[in-house]
Amino acid sequence: MLFELFMAELRRSFIQSTRYSAEIIGGIVGTTIIFYGLFLSTRYVAGGGFQFGDRFDSIIIGYVLWTLMIFIQGSISGNLQDEARTGTLEQVFLSPYGASQVFLCRAIASLFINLVINISILLVIIGLTGSNLSFPLILFLPLLTVLLGAYGLSFIMGSLALILKQVQQALSIFQFGLLFLFTAPVESWSGGLRILGYCLPMAPGAGLLRDVMARGEGLDGGRWAIALLNGVVYFSLGMLLFRWSERETKRQGKLGGY
Amino acid sequence: MNVLEAVDLQKIYRNRQKTVAAVQEVSLTLAAKEVLAFLGPNGAGKTTTIKMIAGLILPDRGSVRIAGRDPHREPKALRSLGAVLEGNRNVYWRLTPEENLEYFGVLRGLTRQVARQRAQVLLERFDLMDKRQSQVQKLSRGMQQKLAIAVSLIHDPQLLLLDEPTLGLDVEATASVKQLVREIAAEGRAILLTTHQLDIAEELSDRVAIINQGKIVIEEPTSELIRQFSGTAYRIELEQELDADRAYKIGALGAVIEGNRVAVHEVSLLYPILEILKPLPLVRLEKDRANLTEIFLKLVGKNAI
Ligand SMILES: Nc1ncnc2c1ncn2[C@@H]1O[C@H](COP(=O)(O)OP(=O)(O)OP(=O)(O)O)[C@@H](O)[C@H]1O
Ligand SMILES: [Mg+2]
Repeated sequence: MLFELFMAELRRSFIQSTRYSAEIIGGIVGTTIIFYGLFLSTRYVAGGGFQFGDRFDSIIIGYVLWTLMIFIQGSISGNLQDEARTGTLEQVFLSPYGASQVFLCRAIASLFINLVINISILLVIIGLTGSNLSFPLILFLPLLTVLLGAYGLSFIMGSLALILKQVQQALSIFQFGLLFLFTAPVESWSGGLRILGYCLPMAPGAGLLRDVMARGEGLDGGRWAIALLNGVVYFSLGMLLFRWSERETKRQGKLGGY
Repeated sequence: MNVLEAVDLQKIYRNRQKTVAAVQEVSLTLAAKEVLAFLGPNGAGKTTTIKMIAGLILPDRGSVRIAGRDPHREPKALRSLGAVLEGNRNVYWRLTPEENLEYFGVLRGLTRQVARQRAQVLLERFDLMDKRQSQVQKLSRGMQQKLAIAVSLIHDPQLLLLDEPTLGLDVEATASVKQLVREIAAEGRAILLTTHQLDIAEELSDRVAIINQGKIVIEEPTSELIRQFSGTAYRIELEQELDADRAYKIGALGAVIEGNRVAVHEVSLLYPILEILKPLPLVRLEKDRANLTEIFLKLVGKNAI
């Protein structure tokens, strides 16, 4: 049954975004330009005779992931705010599936659509810059842990949106935090810092992704288990906080944005 | 079993500056086929009560059961509930009526296939077939409201909450919403309806509950309430204005004259007055029947409509 809901959300997102086609096209063009500019400037800085290949690729992957995570991170809170503005939010909360399941389905459905766009852009850029990223299937394992963490954060931002109604500032601070999480080489830290790195949201999974994708290394089972645990913990935390915030807004009578 | 049982609901809002007792000790029950008009002045607590019933506002105290289930604990209870909320769009303006019905059908727990079938039935019935493929934002206000009601029925709920369903509608759209409410109740659903248009409430409701400052002032079957508040007086309406001579005589007996109308407050005066009026043509002679507006004003106070 949840699958029916997911398909319905996919259809709804798709139809709605085709009706905003100007925005979609603008978004694609904008993203492509930013990506391409980033590629060129990293090239320029990294250029010369040095062997910067592996740093270069991991910066690219970090950046692509970062934009994806920004999207996921803002997707639940953005959806909540949009619907509060258009006056459909309370109807969504009347679903027998329960709000957290509905918003999870929604977030995954819009990721699906976003992913198609992002992957296309990435492929085009790889083609244009002639860079060389490996894309093995095993990649999905660390990606899964990162996604779990990202959705956890998304639910945390959604909770803030429910309680505070205003999340713009928090979101932009988070975006810089994410840039750090995705570009910091946590995997090369040692001692206490390494433990801290394992506890940061998504960081262990992002490190694995870099290793597998850009450096062509194999997947370390132990590190993956840590990354998975990290993802599960952040996801559950987000869900719990969201349920708590749902109840709290209902207590304050502010669900529709009083 | 009653479709709705709300017992002793209470909601007190505490803000930094002030405390608002929005709803206190409100109990409502509704059986299948029943229409309850839930009336009260602005800020009386109607919307707060409705949202507590729908599980959208958590009551401080009291309990809600919809077909035996508590919407605050079991989201499944929402299978039996449809709602059109006040001041909300309730549907997606970028989608068409058909897409809205299908989407909300699945959101309310139907399979896509069932949702599609129900959508066609409702489009037909709500006279939205021609517009089923236009974006909702392009429809008239009346059609948007009809669609909102259709969407609230997509999963065939036993209880329907309508918070000011005729707000901002023109005469024709109001009439068609009224007709729909009648039909929906006749199908066996229970309807809780709020409105500031008391004539609509009078026409549609089986029972009336009036709330003021968070408390229910009275709850009675509509006809009973009207009987209680109707006096023994009569009203006589004439075809033309009364001449001065007759007006003087009738006035002396103690009846009140307003243009071509005479209000007779004592039964014993009826025939003497008719004698004086003879042979003027009458338009009607009727026993005074209170209307909901007068009753409402008496119970809630003149400054409160
Ligand atoms: N979230 C909230 N926080 C604080 N006070 C609130 C909140 N929601 C409603 N109120 C107050 O509670 C009281 C009841 O409001 P409610 O919306 O239930 O009235 P209503 O009967 O629906 O009025 P109307 O006829 O204007 O729609 C009002 O005084 C309102 O200002
Ligand atoms: Mg209201």
